[in-house]
Amino acid sequence: MRIAARVFAHPVVRTLGPFVPVVLLWWLIARSGIVNESFFAGPGVVWSEFIDLVRKGILPSYLSDSVTRLAYGVGFGLLLGIPLGFLVGLNRWARRLTWPVLIFFQAIADIAWLPIVIVWFGFSLTAVTFVIVYTIVFPLTLGVVAGVDQVPDELVRAARSMGASRFRVFLEVIVPGSLPAVASGIRTGLGYGWRALIAAEIIVGTSGIGFMMFDARRVGDVAEVFLGMIILGILWYALDALVLAPFEQATVERWGMVRQVETTR
Amino acid sequence: MTAMVIDNLHKRYVDRYTGEEIVAIGDVSFSVHEGEFVSILGPSGCGKTTVLNIVAGFIEKTRGTVTVGGTEVTAPGPDRGVVFQSHALFPWKTVLGNVTFGLRMKGMDKARREQAGRDVLELVGLSGFERKYPHELSGGMQQRLGVARVLVNEPAVMLMDEPFASIDAQTRRKLQQDLTALFELRRPTVFFVTHDIEEAVFLSDRVVVLSGRPSTVRDIVEVPLPRPRNWHAAVESTDFRTTVTRIESLLSGEEAHVGDGS
Amino acid sequence: MTATAPTTTPRIGRTRRRARPSRLAAAFWFVVPFVLLLAIWAVTIAVTDTPLRTFPQVNDVVGAIGDMIASGDLARHLGASLARIGIGAAIALVTAIPFGVALGASPMLSAFFSPLLRFSVALAGIAWIPIATLWLGYGNGAVIFIVWNAMFFALTYNALLGVQQIPEQLLRAARSMGTGRIRIFWEVLLPGALPSIVTGLRIGLGYGWRGLVAAEIIATNAGLGYALFLAQSQFDTDVIVASMVIIGILWLLMDRLLLAPLERRTVERWGMKAVS
Repeated sequence: MRIAARVFAHPVVRTLGPFVPVVLLWWLIARSGIVNESFFAGPGVVWSEFIDLVRKGILPSYLSDSVTRLAYGVGFGLLLGIPLGFLVGLNRWARRLTWPVLIFFQAIADIAWLPIVIVWFGFSLTAVTFVIVYTIVFPLTLGVVAGVDQVPDELVRAARSMGASRFRVFLEVIVPGSLPAVASGIRTGLGYGWRALIAAEIIVGTSGIGFMMFDARRVGDVAEVFLGMIILGILWYALDALVLAPFEQATVERWGMVRQVETTR
Repeated sequence: MTAMVIDNLHKRYVDRYTGEEIVAIGDVSFSVHEGEFVSILGPSGCGKTTVLNIVAGFIEKTRGTVTVGGTEVTAPGPDRGVVFQSHALFPWKTVLGNVTFGLRMKGMDKARREQAGRDVLELVGLSGFERKYPHELSGGMQQRLGVARVLVNEPAVMLMDEPFASIDAQTRRKLQQDLTALFELRRPTVFFVTHDIEEAVFLSDRVVVLSGRPSTVRDIVEVPLPRPRNWHAAVESTDFRTTVTRIESLLSGEEAHVGDGS
Repeated sequence: MTATAPTTTPRIGRTRRRARPSRLAAAFWFVVPFVLLLAIWAVTIAVTDTPLRTFPQVNDVVGAIGDMIASGDLARHLGASLARIGIGAAIALVTAIPFGVALGASPMLSAFFSPLLRFSVALAGIAWIPIATLWLGYGNGAVIFIVWNAMFFALTYNALLGVQQIPEQLLRAARSMGTGRIRIFWEVLLPGALPSIVTGLRIGLGYGWRGLVAAEIIATNAGLGYALFLAQSQFDTDVIVASMVIIGILWLLMDRLLLAPLERRTVERWGMKAVS
């Protein structure tokens, strides 16, 4: 009993354990034949589809296409969004002149940019990257501004009264102090960017996991659609567990600061 | 030598909600000598923290002059270290990182500033906590760090804004005792804001008693207690009691129910 | 923030926002950036002599909106989109909140479902478009399914988290006053979880809105997303930009008229802060 309790308390078991009955249920439903096979694929079929696509090299190449696009998008998004956020957060005039417009641009759902971007760049990688950058920049910028706003005045004052120049205050106080909100901005931005990537791949349709799924749907290959969704889920989980969570643990949590609410505005 | 002079200080502002003009500080003048411990005391809302914020350079005065070490105050600077009620420690810096912050801003090299930091941490009883983060310390320890962080820069005057107000009563007594010992050892110049009469009397050489808003200096009371001081002796001494009583009557002559000095 | 310092004291430190201006000034500063944006847009197009095929001039877009109103296209697309998001959101609210609250009330169930829900939130919405169109065909059903799906997981997960954050003492207080199970749901669990539910609603609606546009591009023959897609195939950049502007305004209206008042009237009024 004790051992069982300890096994269940293990973080890996606690996280992955719930997926076991879900897969079982999935298998049972597929096995029972209640659902038409052309609408529903069991774990076995999906698995062999996975092996098949890996062997053909389609899956690895699509996967790397998707991840590369996301990485490009996120990279440019960070490069643009973070400086923009600090500019708008710290400069009164920058804020006055851009704030409502930023909110508005955030409100134009990123996917809605896809048609005009296709007009500009054709059905190309540039079009996809543009949309992902767009999705990430605005939540990130708004997140940075929120972060700057919530740095306590007293910390800035303390630094100034210990002889820190304005620039040093920025580096030593504003940047780390706004980190929790920046982290949540990145999280929100990635959540949107991720979806935008899938949508863009479906619509632009040349390669990538989104394309793979939609292409499979067109020919009625349910197993491949299921496989695509599972891969997307696992990829996000991995991104969260391997990149975002450790980053937050090493900074925000280590410093005893509260993680921020995901902001979506 | 005079470390700090406040001359005809006046502060007015417009209330953001009602739009009416409020005079926070009517006319305040006093000075603090080098190596002296001066407290400022007054009914709540009388603007004593405003005085400190002006001295620190955090807010602008409407009229009057504030000079520290012979130069007029216009902006925050390392000659006026501030200990905040909320501690205002940097959560993302370790204890050592917090305490050496000012020295780093001065451009002191790493080895020297860390040595100085360790020394001052030992002085305030925080040796062995160098690698901890502020949130891992108790409230009392956090404020010891707040004091150490300022002390290490050897400012011309140390500004303390109700530093022990958010700390539990027992720890507060201990911190006051330790601050006194530290003061007697190092003799920094201290300007201390508080609403606790006993705290003011126990710690200070002189106590500036303000009137209610718009505040003016009601009186400056000399504290006749010999140093070194300790709480046991202080509470039993008649000088302590008479000084406290005198300040109480100064404050209550002003308005009803002042001096909730617990 | 110093509680003791008077609120209006000008700071010598860095300049900071939040001077509480009058309503008129607020309106002014809300309009100015947009005027500036329009001016920059108009001048840039005029100076660079950009063809309509690449990007429309301001008046082209205004004209396109006028045409869309006159022809009834706008009403048709708007109606279709709003109906879909309305129905999807309504179903999501009705299904997700009771489910999430119920899960949150049981430590066992919430421990079991938390990782599943996190997984599903990451996947919710757009990634379901292929399977939704496979199951339900192209059309309203698939789009509403996507909106529902995008919101359902975020709402459920946040409702679950919200219930977990309710202080045990509140539940004990309610029980000690003899509150029955159903009453506890209505009187304690639901309001207690509301800050988190509102957060979930914001996140979910954001995903749902994007899902709607994407699904309409892919799967239907009406709606704003479809209007965008149609215009793109004909290179009508004026209609594209007009549709984008309408989508942006709609979301702002939704945020200001639905979400913000909801937050003001509940979470903020009760002095609670959303945590997640």
